[in-house]
Amino acid sequence: MKTGRMRRTVWMAVCAALLTPPALRGQEFPVATKTLKNGMKVLVQSDHSIPNVALYIFYRIGSRNERPGTTGISHFFEHMMFNGAKKYGPGELDKVMEANGGSNNAYTARDVTVYQDWFPRSATELIFDIEADRIRDLSFDPKKIESERGVVASERRTRIDASNEGLLDEQLWATAFIAHPYQWPVLGWMSDIEHWTIEDLKRQFEMGYAPNNATMVVVGDVTPDEIFAFCEKYIEPIPQHAPPPPVTTVEPEQQGERRAVVRKPAELPLLMIAYHVPQTNNPDFYALNVLQTILFHGESSRMYQRLVDKDQIALAVDSESETALDPTVNVIVAQPKEGVDPQKVETTIYEELERAKKAAVSDVELQKAKNIRLAEFYRQMRTISGRANTIGTYEVFFGDYRRLFDAAKNYNGVTKEDVQRVATKYFGANNRTVATLALEKSVENAKP
Amino acid sequence: MNREIVMRGVLALTVMSAVGASRAQAQRLQIPAHEKTVLKNGLTVLLLEKHGVPLINVAGIVKAGAVADPTGQEGLAATAADLLRKGTKTRTAQQFAADIDFIGGFFDTSAAEDYTSLSAEFLAKDQGRGLELFADALLHPTFPKEEVEKLLAQSVDEAKGVKDSPRQVMLEYYDGYLYGGKGYGRPTDGDEITLKRIQRDAIVKFYETNYTPANTIIAVAGDFNAEGMKKKIEEIFGGWAGKAAAAEKIEATGPVKGKRLLLVDKPDATQTFFSIGNVGIAANDPDRVAVRVVNTVFGARFTSMLNEALRVESGLTYGASSFFLQWKEPGPFAILSFTKNETTTQAIDMALEVLKKLHTDGVNAAQLASAKSYIKGQFPPSIETSAQLAQLIASHEFYGLNDDEVNQLEARVDAVTPEIAKQVIAKHFPQENLVFVLIGKASEIAPAVKKYAEKQDTRAITAPGYWPGEK
Repeated sequence: MKTGRMRRTVWMAVCAALLTPPALRGQEFPVATKTLKNGMKVLVQSDHSIPNVALYIFYRIGSRNERPGTTGISHFFEHMMFNGAKKYGPGELDKVMEANGGSNNAYTARDVTVYQDWFPRSATELIFDIEADRIRDLSFDPKKIESERGVVASERRTRIDASNEGLLDEQLWATAFIAHPYQWPVLGWMSDIEHWTIEDLKRQFEMGYAPNNATMVVVGDVTPDEIFAFCEKYIEPIPQHAPPPPVTTVEPEQQGERRAVVRKPAELPLLMIAYHVPQTNNPDFYALNVLQTILFHGESSRMYQRLVDKDQIALAVDSESETALDPTVNVIVAQPKEGVDPQKVETTIYEELERAKKAAVSDVELQKAKNIRLAEFYRQMRTISGRANTIGTYEVFFGDYRRLFDAAKNYNGVTKEDVQRVATKYFGANNRTVATLALEKSVENAKP
Repeated sequence: MNREIVMRGVLALTVMSAVGASRAQAQRLQIPAHEKTVLKNGLTVLLLEKHGVPLINVAGIVKAGAVADPTGQEGLAATAADLLRKGTKTRTAQQFAADIDFIGGFFDTSAAEDYTSLSAEFLAKDQGRGLELFADALLHPTFPKEEVEKLLAQSVDEAKGVKDSPRQVMLEYYDGYLYGGKGYGRPTDGDEITLKRIQRDAIVKFYETNYTPANTIIAVAGDFNAEGMKKKIEEIFGGWAGKAAAAEKIEATGPVKGKRLLLVDKPDATQTFFSIGNVGIAANDPDRVAVRVVNTVFGARFTSMLNEALRVESGLTYGASSFFLQWKEPGPFAILSFTKNETTTQAIDMALEVLKKLHTDGVNAAQLASAKSYIKGQFPPSIETSAQLAQLIASHEFYGLNDDEVNQLEARVDAVTPEIAKQVIAKHFPQENLVFVLIGKASEIAPAVKKYAEKQDTRAITAPGYWPGEK
């Protein structure tokens, strides 16, 4: 139940990086850091195992910084960052990069917009030239804006209209949040996609794309010295300016269950349940992840064993939680079997949650969860791009990449009592939102 | 279990980059050293040491895939594979899950067209337990009746549910229509009808016939000592007995002649998903590198001709691409894209226009240079991990390819000239003979798409199965 990372797109999946403790031996690798005069922080990790480089730039701007009427503008802007600046005009960025052996991608999330470049080390200076050009001198060609509007509308039709999970997820968040900007989709509502203007885009650029609002991570066949030299030459001269205003809205405490229903023609129904949980840098993060692992990871997990294997009422059950700067939701996704009332699946999930509240998990389950987190850490660390993403994610969401090296200690410190406590604290009926996709047999029936 | 559409350069592209030209001489890309042993029982073992991260990957290939499914029982190979971990002589399904999860590892299976694939991963410190689990599933499955019924019931539901996502089923419809429901045109995971016909006896028979040492390749890559690993493998698998299965025969189908179109009606669709093409090339086709270079220009990266036209220049779609799937016999070639209902013919016309342009203009020197640089630059991260390497050497062994696929890649790419590109376009990029498969809202698009082919077929997405069948 996860969305692949697609080119220039919305980041809806779990950030696995955060679920991972470092190994106990030899995994605290050196990271060189430097803060440029304009406020941009740069982190570099050398790895010469392949002659390549992964360069990630995390901008602290996402749909969280938007307003009704222009929802989705952060994501649209992300697309526009590829559509021409002063030196590299429309279409040139991709052409030059690919002709030099590189490729790129980007994703927009609720809290951040992340640009990714993967290239042979020979292209390093070129990449800095390209990045500096678009941070400093992005251009807004009205013709490109119109054609890119069509691209994003197509992306929305693909991810939402042609995906039951995308559609239901959107409704779930819109119901779970009534005040905080997490309520609207990262892609934006279709009517907003159709109506945003060139002025909206310019405001977005001025607000979010200050160098002091960004963190750069470089991992691969480079040295910190050469990267810092390129930074001084290309990035440092870009003047700093005011970052986005703080998001002050706090989601009020939920005081009773909320429900959303989507009726449409489909082969199978779908069920999603959201529980409000704290932001990523909250100390309960580790205990929540251990609980989530015990309940949902693998065929030995409690939920799989109960719903898929024993009761045979679901085809799949999973749970997702996004990295977040503000309090967010943990989302359970269950695919009911054909002919099974989603209500039955829902009540069975509650029974398993109650079990986790009433009694402590076993020693074996706790140890298993810690082992899984360790293996996941190595999976994340095995590629230069995985490491770039993990370092950047810790830096942005925990405020310091070095928290990555504390994660093992923090996971090992989680007790059975902690797991029981977070289950009780966050997974209550009053704190949940339930979204159900119910079947309409034909389009005609779907009309009122 | 279902195949996602390959949207190279547009969707699902997370590959990275590569060998710098300045260091290409000093640092030509080589596949890490690895050794091959054939045990007395005929089992092929490949070992590749790769240190740095304490992980070990095992990739197993059993030389019987979906094409070995009896007609009408499509999904049998996939079902047999998925049941391997669902009960062994010493473990229940639940015990197997508990043991593999406890060490933070995984064990997955799937059926490809030509072979069944098994893959496992575990930490180096758990290599004894990890290998033992892999062997237990491969050598000692018992196919408990209850687990067989449970899995088949789930698979039937999955085969229905997957049709809610047009992107996930596009290739099944396309292959089915392209190959006329034969050979590669049968669904690898089965469908709502065929899965219901599968009996436990057939699963056991499939296993006994095909899962034999001489019919199997095991590749292990990662953080271990090859000598020690070899001894362990011999201990664990040396006693495995069984006769080699007869090689499968694939019903070879040549390219489709003329034009034909299948419209799969999805009444609530807001976009039309389409694929256009014909039968392409096999894994060992001598033109495979030249095809890769030309297809990079045509449809396999962001700045490809197709994506430039349909996305970048016109905003008709989120992505347009093309691919050649390369198997033992020639696999499908297709152009792939999607667009809102109203612009369906505009987008298809444009895709055909781009194909025509490829034939009339060929590939110029600048395009060729860029594509070469891109392929070479993107390749190294595709062999960065032990998981990638285990899979790669196992599939090379299966398809009769060797390390030159990696070690000579740069030289072979560099050897492609505009003249060779021209020949490859004429030979491998069909223009007159084309199969069209569209998933969309028939009531809005059916009349307009009649112009593409004289032979037209339609079916509802809710109709069980994927191919229209012989009339």
